[in-house]
Amino acid sequence: MKFVASREALLKPLQLVAGVVERRQTLPVLSNVLIQLDGDQLSLTGTDLEVEIVGRLQLEAAGDSGEITVPAKKLVDICRSLPEGSDIEFSLDEQRALIRSGRSRFTLSTLPASDFPSVEDSPGDLRIECAQQEIKRLIDRTAFAMAQQDVRYYLNGMLWEVRQGQVRSVATDGHRMAMCTRDVNVDCAEKVQAILPRKGVLELSRLMSEGEDQVVIVLSPNHIRVTTDDYTFTSKLVDGKFPDYERVLPRGGDKVIMGPRTELKQAFSRTSILSNEKYRGVRLLLADGQLTIVANNPEQEEAQEEVTVDYTGPELEVGFNVSYLLDVTNVIAHENIKITLSDANSSALLEEPESSDSLYVVMPMRL
Amino acid sequence: MRKIIHCDADCFFAAVEIRDDPRLQGRAIAVGGNPDRRGVLSTCNYEARRYGIHSAMPAAHALRLCPDLIILPHRMDVYRDVSQAMRQIFYDYSERVEPLSLDEAFIDVSESEQCRGSATLIAQDIRARVRKDLGISVSAGVAPNKFLAKIASDWQKPDGLTVITPAQVSEFVARLPVRKIHGVGKAMAARLGELGVTTCGDLQHYSIFELSERFGAMGRRLHQLCRGEDDRPVNASRRRKSLSVEKTWSEDLQGLESCLAGLPRLLEKLFARLEDLDDDYRVVKLFVKIKFADFTQTTLERAGKHIRISAFRELCAEAYARQGGAVRLLGLGVRFVDLREDRAYYQLPLFGD
Repeated sequence: MKFVASREALLKPLQLVAGVVERRQTLPVLSNVLIQLDGDQLSLTGTDLEVEIVGRLQLEAAGDSGEITVPAKKLVDICRSLPEGSDIEFSLDEQRALIRSGRSRFTLSTLPASDFPSVEDSPGDLRIECAQQEIKRLIDRTAFAMAQQDVRYYLNGMLWEVRQGQVRSVATDGHRMAMCTRDVNVDCAEKVQAILPRKGVLELSRLMSEGEDQVVIVLSPNHIRVTTDDYTFTSKLVDGKFPDYERVLPRGGDKVIMGPRTELKQAFSRTSILSNEKYRGVRLLLADGQLTIVANNPEQEEAQEEVTVDYTGPELEVGFNVSYLLDVTNVIAHENIKITLSDANSSALLEEPESSDSLYVVMPMRL
Repeated sequence: MRKIIHCDADCFFAAVEIRDDPRLQGRAIAVGGNPDRRGVLSTCNYEARRYGIHSAMPAAHALRLCPDLIILPHRMDVYRDVSQAMRQIFYDYSERVEPLSLDEAFIDVSESEQCRGSATLIAQDIRARVRKDLGISVSAGVAPNKFLAKIASDWQKPDGLTVITPAQVSEFVARLPVRKIHGVGKAMAARLGELGVTTCGDLQHYSIFELSERFGAMGRRLHQLCRGEDDRPVNASRRRKSLSVEKTWSEDLQGLESCLAGLPRLLEKLFARLEDLDDDYRVVKLFVKIKFADFTQTTLERAGKHIRISAFRELCAEAYARQGGAVRLLGLGVRFVDLREDRAYYQLPLFGD
């Protein structure tokens, strides 16, 4: 096995593929990346047995075909630290991989390609075709709300709900929720739900570009497979029942506030400095035309911010985890933000003022 | 090898009542529920136990066994205060104190330097201090783990101290009745009896496979315990407001310079103690304590988040200047804000469970 690739062509897919490789591994081959060459078609594969990414690239010239696995992190570090514009020659010498570039030379350990596990895929019947930017938006608009290490393991992931011509993503950590709905080309008579694991969601987002490039997604009962020209992403789905998110969408909030997003974001960010570092609580005091944000910490320090907003109605005092409010003001793009409240114990609805594809629900903190 | 002390106050509630009313001394008394309202007893003293009375017994039943029994109502606030004071004594010997209830606690003294590091001497010390300061008696067990320490504290109750040294463990458990194992009740003892097992020594003949097949998870635990093995750690759950270290010099320090020279060692100890704490503490003040040769004492503190030798040097110099002269004790410490204590806000759940 032998080939030459330019550093730049090799590095990007290599980094994305190596992204799924876990640092600490029980199975040695899982810290390796699988390299397969067929003529001028090079493919790189990384896996953690739950998520698998295959990156493909076409070489300028055909090499000697073959396959082998080498330590992923070391290969990335070597390729990255070589000078820009270098050509990298990869070859096999007995049980060792030899990497040469200019006057640099590295010998890496290998494990046979036959030891490398592949994520078992099951045949899927639900097929979605759309621009990559649709998938990217579904993820980027909601991923921040996923739980991290919750015992309710199904919250450590993202729900994808597919209907006729529509895909919806929902993420929640049990305290706040994010939801995004996009129209896409999919034929799906009955609603289908799938929970993507947290890690898969984050890796998939990195593979999707902002543009019109197409992507094909196939959902099977236990797996999702996402294919683009350059990558194939396969992930196991989380086996579990996602909570009934529609039940917690607030209805009947009678206090509608329209406020400048950037100003609110900055006010939240400044008050957060003096909120309790652990619980992050702030008090929102709503009055005609004005929202006052107050934070106190255990050291008895206090921050107060006043923001002019569009609101008329009864006064209300309600507490929130300021991080949750910041997350929403960060992800929303519009210059204004619409906040709908009802009382101090009911959830808040945050969204862009008009025709938005996303909405955010945040439960208050009791004061 | 760890050194664990299990302390258990003898008939705690009753002992506090007798302490506060010496006329009760020598009489059968119990603390607990009202016999007219089907109440049960929480505690009774040994005089009452002679009549067959025990805790959790319905008060009405106890009165039939011993018509002279004096049943007193609970005074929880008092018990709590005594319990707190008892814990404070434990904390003088170790940071790792795991209270099991108001009257019982494990203390891990493996790292303690008091009493030359002798767990037996520490246990004696604790018992003497509780008796002297609080007027009640405590039984204590000293052993290499929690399982044995708890059995040991019960071994010579009341007012007893039992020590099981590592060398004595195997001999001790060989004769230990399985009924003494926490979790082996009547039913389990009967099942073990069918196998001809009455002591831990008998139990040792069974492999872990046989035991786990018969008794599931408890079987694996039995396999450990009957050998006197138990690796459960002592879980300290104490929240504190400050942390300090101090040292009494065998010869008084003469002058400020020698005081300042003593700071780095103390600061090192302070850092080591701080490492044992969790991340939810925020340092808000630093303080220095000086006890002069004439036993007058002064403490000086200042707001600060950063633990630096320079800050302690300044405090030390200022505190020293208040009196001057020879110094017998030097201490430094920090005061905290506990983030966990600040529960002004409670996050409501999105999905009401």
